[in-house]
Amino acid sequence: MLFSELYSAYYNAVAKILACAVRGDLNESEMQKIVSENAFSESVLTVIPALKNGEWQLVTGDLRTPIEHMPTMPLTLLQKRWLKAVSLDKRIKLFDADFGFLEGVEPLFKPDDIYAFDAYSDGDDYESETYIQNFKLILDAVKNRYPIKMEVKNRHGTAVQMNVVPEYIEYSEKDDKFRLITSGCSYGGTVNIGRVVSAKRYYGSSVNIRGSEPRKPRRLVLEVYNKRNALERVMLHFAHFEKKAEKVDDGKYRVEIFYDVSDETEMVIRVLSFGPMIKALAPMGFVKLIRERLEKQKMCGLW
Amino acid sequence: MAFNELIKNFSRIRDYMREFYVYGFKSRDEYDKKSARSYDDERRRIESWLGDYMSFRTTPDGKNVFLSIDSRLTRHDPLYAAWKACSFTDGDITLHFILFDILHSSDVSLTLKEITEKIDGYLSGFNEPKTFDESTVRKKLKEYANDGLIVAAKHGKTVFYRRESDTPLPSSDVLDFFSEAAPCGVIGSFLLDKVKPHKECFAFKHHYITNALDSDILCTAFCAMQEKRTVVIKNLGKRDSEPAFFKAVPLRIFISTQNGRQYLVGYRTDQSKFSAFRLDYILDIEIGEVYKNFDALREKLERIQKHMWGVTLRRNENDTEHVEFTVTFGDNEEYIYRRLLREKRCGTVERIDKNTAKFSADVYDCAEMKPWIRTFICRITDIKFSNKDLEREFLSDIHSMYEMYGLEGGDDDAV
Repeated sequence: MLFSELYSAYYNAVAKILACAVRGDLNESEMQKIVSENAFSESVLTVIPALKNGEWQLVTGDLRTPIEHMPTMPLTLLQKRWLKAVSLDKRIKLFDADFGFLEGVEPLFKPDDIYAFDAYSDGDDYESETYIQNFKLILDAVKNRYPIKMEVKNRHGTAVQMNVVPEYIEYSEKDDKFRLITSGCSYGGTVNIGRVVSAKRYYGSSVNIRGSEPRKPRRLVLEVYNKRNALERVMLHFAHFEKKAEKVDDGKYRVEIFYDVSDETEMVIRVLSFGPMIKALAPMGFVKLIRERLEKQKMCGLW
Repeated sequence: MAFNELIKNFSRIRDYMREFYVYGFKSRDEYDKKSARSYDDERRRIESWLGDYMSFRTTPDGKNVFLSIDSRLTRHDPLYAAWKACSFTDGDITLHFILFDILHSSDVSLTLKEITEKIDGYLSGFNEPKTFDESTVRKKLKEYANDGLIVAAKHGKTVFYRRESDTPLPSSDVLDFFSEAAPCGVIGSFLLDKVKPHKECFAFKHHYITNALDSDILCTAFCAMQEKRTVVIKNLGKRDSEPAFFKAVPLRIFISTQNGRQYLVGYRTDQSKFSAFRLDYILDIEIGEVYKNFDALREKLERIQKHMWGVTLRRNENDTEHVEFTVTFGDNEEYIYRRLLREKRCGTVERIDKNTAKFSADVYDCAEMKPWIRTFICRITDIKFSNKDLEREFLSDIHSMYEMYGLEGGDDDAV
């Protein structure tokens, strides 16, 4: 069963409190710190009194415990079955992971049980030895924050060299692609890992460690006309953005979405996909892009 | 009753979290399904779990509460917090930590009587010590054995209990990635709670996090699929006032990477047809008996999938509709052709000439394709649907868009 106290934030917090008590260095402020870091914002009001009042008989009034060993719990069968399912995922080859300990465990699901019906078909090649090797090096560089020298094919197929500091790796399930977000590169901060020809650690000094460029959020204002279930479709479709919505009047809603400027073209076609169910109101530059596309469409002679 | 952060039942909070996160424009009075007290408690709980993401706005209709999360910026789905708020009794938590301390290693193997006596020893130092009788301890051990935490082995007539062997965890990178990218990722989040703080290397774009709220339904569906069993689905569609029950053989989970919806596609044994059930509409799912023709149904679904653009199915698998459209692109717009190729799903793309390509498909429901076709607006030179009503609607929609943006003259506010 997935919804179980075994996985609860309270059990996790209490395990850490008991570990501290077993070591003999538990005090009131440590208890508060553990609870606020491992549970929820009001949990201190429940967890600490329950332990101190003896409702949960695990810590005595003088903050000692009858527990003798560091609290641990084996993995549940559900956790093992999920890990087994992960071990069958095509992307697991990108990680040095040994799942030998799961022999005999039935997976919770198999790759064939899932079908991402609208994912793009030109995703990264997780079978390619070069890709796997590059990915592993990049991941290591992100983790240990060292610069790398890469040869990357640009969109015209020309190989370019770059020295970058990897910041983090971004994955898109829709594109089924990994992208490396970098700093210190004059060609731009994002590199499709699938375009990397080779990558190696860079020991030189011609790289600028300055952190990734901050995102430039832009506010898109949409009016949504709730016909053909458009409101639900719009809200779900744009659910992954920071956004605000309000009802303007019956059947009309105003939605504000904060998107990254670099994704503007993608946003334009996403808005177009809703047809006359939504209208872009701002920014004016965005509205202009929609109008231009419609003007061009008019010239195609469909209507 | 005093406010409690924890909950016994997930279903009610599931509705509220979805409302706050996906919609977020309802005022307190509009949550008509439940009492005002219930609304206040659920809102306070969610605020307690996800305070950083909770926002408020005052409107003429009252105060609106909403969750605003840019899933590209968060490294982990904040909604997983709800799955870590299961309530328990004072006895549950006390017994849990004492039991695993007594059975601290898989080498320690004890009888029920021995364990019960040791528990008394642990509690003797407290004022008014709790007592756990053998039947309570046996019940808990059985529960843990079912969860795979405890092994019960019979030697002669006596049952000995020991903890399951400890197993290593994969690296935090594996857990960080798959807890977001794999189905039922919340289980990965449970595992992450066991590892030390570390550098998180992954972010996620186009990441629909609401699926977290359907994890239990999905998990049960997967369990049924692995054992090739039927399920009974308790479903409440958007327009339904009462839930309906369907018996089905769950065959595959269809996931949309472009709107986050998840569907259980199965074979309805009562109606002898394939159907798709939206997971967020499923209130409950129960596993039934083994279905002997599971593999044959899967094969049939494989065949049917070749005509599914989305999740619409037909009773007659040959009942398809045809659509074709032509797009034009400039000499330096080869990416449009590549877009067609990578996004065509079950359709086919034909290169007409250097600057023109034609897409065609035979699918069960061409209406599902309209949003995608509209993404090519500005270059569609021809379009034909075998369903003429749909064709008229598509063209009329484009005309409405011209009007909406003032390209037809007249009222640029018209829909």
